[in-house]
Amino acid sequence: MNVQPDLDFIRTLKEAGGDTLKKCYQCATCSVMCPLSKDGKPFPRKEMIWAGWGMKDKLVTDPDVFLCHHCGDCTANCPRGAKPGDVLSAIRSYAYTFYGWPQPLAKLASSAKGLPMMIGIPVVVIFFMWLISGGMHIPNKEFFAEHGYQQFFGHWDFKWYAKNIFFIVAFMVPSLGLGLFSGIMGISKMWKAMSEQADMNPQYRPSVGQFVTDFIWPSLVEIIKHSRFNECGTHLNRVRGHLPLMLAFIGLFIVTCWSLLKNDVLGLIWPSLHGPLPLTDPFKLLANVSAIALIFGIAVLWSNRKKMETEMSAQATFYDWFLIWEITAVGVTGIAAELLRWAGMPVLGYIVYFLHLVSVMMLFLYLPYTKLAHLLYRTTAYTFEKYRESIFAQNK
Amino acid sequence: MDKKYCAYICAGCGIGDALDLEALAGVVTGEMSMECKTHECLCGVAGRAFIEADIKEGVNTVVVGACSPRVMTNEFNFGEGKITVRANLREQVVWAEVKPAEGEEPHAEAAEFLAETAADYMRMACSRAKKTELPAPFKLEVINKTILVMGGGLAGLTAAKESAAAGYDVILVEKEDQLGGKALGWRKSFPTKAPWTDLEENPIQALIAEVEANPKITIKTGIEVARITGAPGDFGVSFKAANSKTEWDAPAKVTVDEQDLINKGEKEDPNAGLKKYTSINPDATKVGSVVLATGWKPADVSQFEHLGHGVLPNVVTNAEFEKLSKAGKVPAKVAFVQSPGGKDNDKDFPYCNSVTSMVALKQAQYVCEDNADGQAFILYQHMRTPGSMELFYKNVQTNDGIFLTKGSVTKVEENGGGLRVAVEDTLLGEDITIDVDMVVLAAGMEPMTLHEKSINLAYRQGPGFNDLDLFDGYADSHFICFPYETRRTGVYACGGVRKAETMEEAVDDATGAALKAIQCIESSDRGVSVHPRSGDSTYPEFFMQRCTQCKRCTEECPFGALDDDEKGTPLPNPTRCRRCGTCMGACPERIIGFKDYNIDLIGSMIKSVEVPEDDEDRLRIIVFVCENDAYPAIDMAGMKRLGLNHMVRFIPVRCLGSVNMAWIRDALSAGMDGAMLLGCTYGDDYQCHFVKGSEIANKRMENIGDTLSTLGLEPERCAANQIAITDYDKIPHIINDFVEEIVEMGPNPFKGF
Repeated sequence: MNVQPDLDFIRTLKEAGGDTLKKCYQCATCSVMCPLSKDGKPFPRKEMIWAGWGMKDKLVTDPDVFLCHHCGDCTANCPRGAKPGDVLSAIRSYAYTFYGWPQPLAKLASSAKGLPMMIGIPVVVIFFMWLISGGMHIPNKEFFAEHGYQQFFGHWDFKWYAKNIFFIVAFMVPSLGLGLFSGIMGISKMWKAMSEQADMNPQYRPSVGQFVTDFIWPSLVEIIKHSRFNECGTHLNRVRGHLPLMLAFIGLFIVTCWSLLKNDVLGLIWPSLHGPLPLTDPFKLLANVSAIALIFGIAVLWSNRKKMETEMSAQATFYDWFLIWEITAVGVTGIAAELLRWAGMPVLGYIVYFLHLVSVMMLFLYLPYTKLAHLLYRTTAYTFEKYRESIFAQNK
Repeated sequence: MDKKYCAYICAGCGIGDALDLEALAGVVTGEMSMECKTHECLCGVAGRAFIEADIKEGVNTVVVGACSPRVMTNEFNFGEGKITVRANLREQVVWAEVKPAEGEEPHAEAAEFLAETAADYMRMACSRAKKTELPAPFKLEVINKTILVMGGGLAGLTAAKESAAAGYDVILVEKEDQLGGKALGWRKSFPTKAPWTDLEENPIQALIAEVEANPKITIKTGIEVARITGAPGDFGVSFKAANSKTEWDAPAKVTVDEQDLINKGEKEDPNAGLKKYTSINPDATKVGSVVLATGWKPADVSQFEHLGHGVLPNVVTNAEFEKLSKAGKVPAKVAFVQSPGGKDNDKDFPYCNSVTSMVALKQAQYVCEDNADGQAFILYQHMRTPGSMELFYKNVQTNDGIFLTKGSVTKVEENGGGLRVAVEDTLLGEDITIDVDMVVLAAGMEPMTLHEKSINLAYRQGPGFNDLDLFDGYADSHFICFPYETRRTGVYACGGVRKAETMEEAVDDATGAALKAIQCIESSDRGVSVHPRSGDSTYPEFFMQRCTQCKRCTEECPFGALDDDEKGTPLPNPTRCRRCGTCMGACPERIIGFKDYNIDLIGSMIKSVEVPEDDEDRLRIIVFVCENDAYPAIDMAGMKRLGLNHMVRFIPVRCLGSVNMAWIRDALSAGMDGAMLLGCTYGDDYQCHFVKGSEIANKRMENIGDTLSTLGLEPERCAANQIAITDYDKIPHIINDFVEEIVEMGPNPFKGF
């Protein structure tokens, strides 16, 4: 291999939290300490020298970078004061931008400089929607009590497709679609690059069904059970935050799907199904429990991050904090909107609901470029790791 | 001196419990006709007062039967004009007794054995006391305290500055026309203070100015030393213009056989046109001691063909790169190759020590300083950054443009306009190639003594240092135990000629060597020895009337202290002497001796040992023990109660080199059953305090084996063993095994004759 160090890559990593990457002197204490590292291909020692040598191509095609759960065991035990955990985190952040499509949007989401724009886009889009929807009014208390936010974008009599839904779908679905499309583009690009790097034969493949049952499904089970996360030493407390948070997202996903089904399909047959759910409804219950779990989880992660920054002097990065703020924003605005509805405060309620829409749209739109992308990339890496060790990769 | 004797036996530390002191005192008063007293604790205030009371009454030679002579030295020092001889009853008799194994009965005669051993040690001490005389130190008529510093580089300048600061006049000689040496070519120097991260200004110009302004320092540039005659305190130095030839150049050593050939006209005289080594130059400058700071040469690295030095453009050595970097900008992509061996050998370049690692770290910084996107690759097998320089290494690592990996550099070749370096077994997990503008090879620093005599002494043993090949050309006495010392007393090495080292180390080194040079002058002034027998005021005296001019002493002296005249009669130089006694051991005529250590004295000690006849349980084996390492090891074996056979008697000697084979013959003809030498390791990792003594003694022992066979004695009755001071646990094994061999051979057949 002809080595051409990329100095800009090194500088970028240093800014993105990998400031200590050059301190490594390759003793491999990190790889020994790492509870997740495997015998055959230990990490993060090799990633540290690749990073130190500015070897971008090696790192963005290295599944081990995504298998790291940032336990901090390596960082806590490094005799040289390097923080391999933080460096790997910086590499992941770089990879999301690297694989992101379209690039301008990916770049925008990669630093705090882009934050006004990142917020600006959904604010303008949703406000514009609100303008053109003609629903631009603040309801009185009685109306608010009856309909909640269900006529935020107004109402029309075309019963087959509610106006409110029409407008929400008009910006949420393209946002999520773009996010998912870009994410899938990214992970397939990564998969291809990783396969090339691992020198695997692309001709020999499992069927889609086998791929799901043998590789994707076991990975998902592992992720949901937090098996690897639980092996972490130094930052084990993060499981207490991450697990409720992840379950909250699953819960809210189910509620959203039900709500869609209820309003847009079943609601056509039984119009009485429209309107806010009563508190006793199992789905409402799930939604509220999830919302509380979300707030609890993010609070734990927030305090852990703070603690890590003071105790282990981890660099505060936009990459980490954006996701924490973003999820907090979604949770807080969601719950506040609900509380304001109960409190019968339409003006404040509508403002908060607007912000809730903005934060949710941001979540979807920037999904593949920000730290949230780990739910796509890490899952892919889990799958790739299993695939790499399987008969399909071995047989050339 | 009229000697008045008295012996004292201490009852403390278990000696009184194990021995019948009255009977022991009886041996002294009876056989040795010496008054003998006992005391419960001689080393205490009361004990000392007990002895001092007798000294007031006129006793001036005291025999102390107590602990080892290695301990309580102040307690049993009764001042000038008094002689004290110690019998080691504690460590080597009482504590060394073999204890019966568990469940075993002690030997029926164990108590008698112990009493006999103690009696022998008292007899030996009394004989020694009778033969010991008070030393009178050797004093030069005139002593010169000027220090000659050879070499005007960083080390020489520092040595001159430090010697002058201590109040000594200095002559500084430099071959080149300007002072400064190699350091003139260096762009920056290593950090010398916390936080140990930043390169510093080269201190050489400031140092030159300081030395030039010092009135105590005489500077001679463009000059070199033709020859040095004489001895510490009285060296005569002949100077000459650099690179010229004069009749006062130091003559090469010519052996007796070579001289024969020269005389017959069959060999060219290498010293034709030169004054004899014993000639005195009336114009010579007198100095007291010499600091050798003649520096180093960059090693030739073209022998490593795969690296292309001398063939490919832009493959340079580190020294060449440093000069380039001082002259101007260095290229933007540079590879630093630290080890030349490819895959077969992970050693760094020869003579590199830890210097080349640090130089590469320094020069890599030049690449990034001179070029905005500079890239420096350090390809090492070993990264050596001792002490605080680890912090320097850590800081260099954090530079974005510096890339380090362990690896085997297998090839440097041309690639377009630049160079391509192939590296295998890297930390990157695969073999790599790197394209660069320049390759820097970490050439080592060869000491000047590897290439030339450097010191140019007019000594009988030749102008240079001996056995240089043992230490790859370094003029070494003992690098660890005796830093700065060379095998020539009064000559102290520092800087690149002593060790491949950084400028900071050279400064420390030069200060140390300057202090050694001062110490040597002052010791010579007081008429005492330098290290390792510092303060010893005895010196070897020769009874020349009986000298047969055999030249063994002049040949064997490890320090070249003895010159000789036309006929071969030795010309002693007591201030060159380190008092090891190797000459005394060598002399077949037994005419060399010290006031308190000579052939007769040790011979009398041997003869005073009682040799019982026809008793298999009472064989006698004499062991000559080097008092530097082996003797303390035996003491430690005693302290640990390891148990040494009761038939053995230890006699301490200054160095095995001083053991005269006459003693062995004395011992065996007195009916003793075996003899052993116990001393330091010799060879390339020698521990002999006098460098060659142990080795010479072993050679002599090989020869005595032949003598014994002609007498009808088994050569195995004599043995020589080496031991390190820390190996006290091996002492019982060595001693007791030897005794068992002798027991198997049976008693000496000459017993009783």
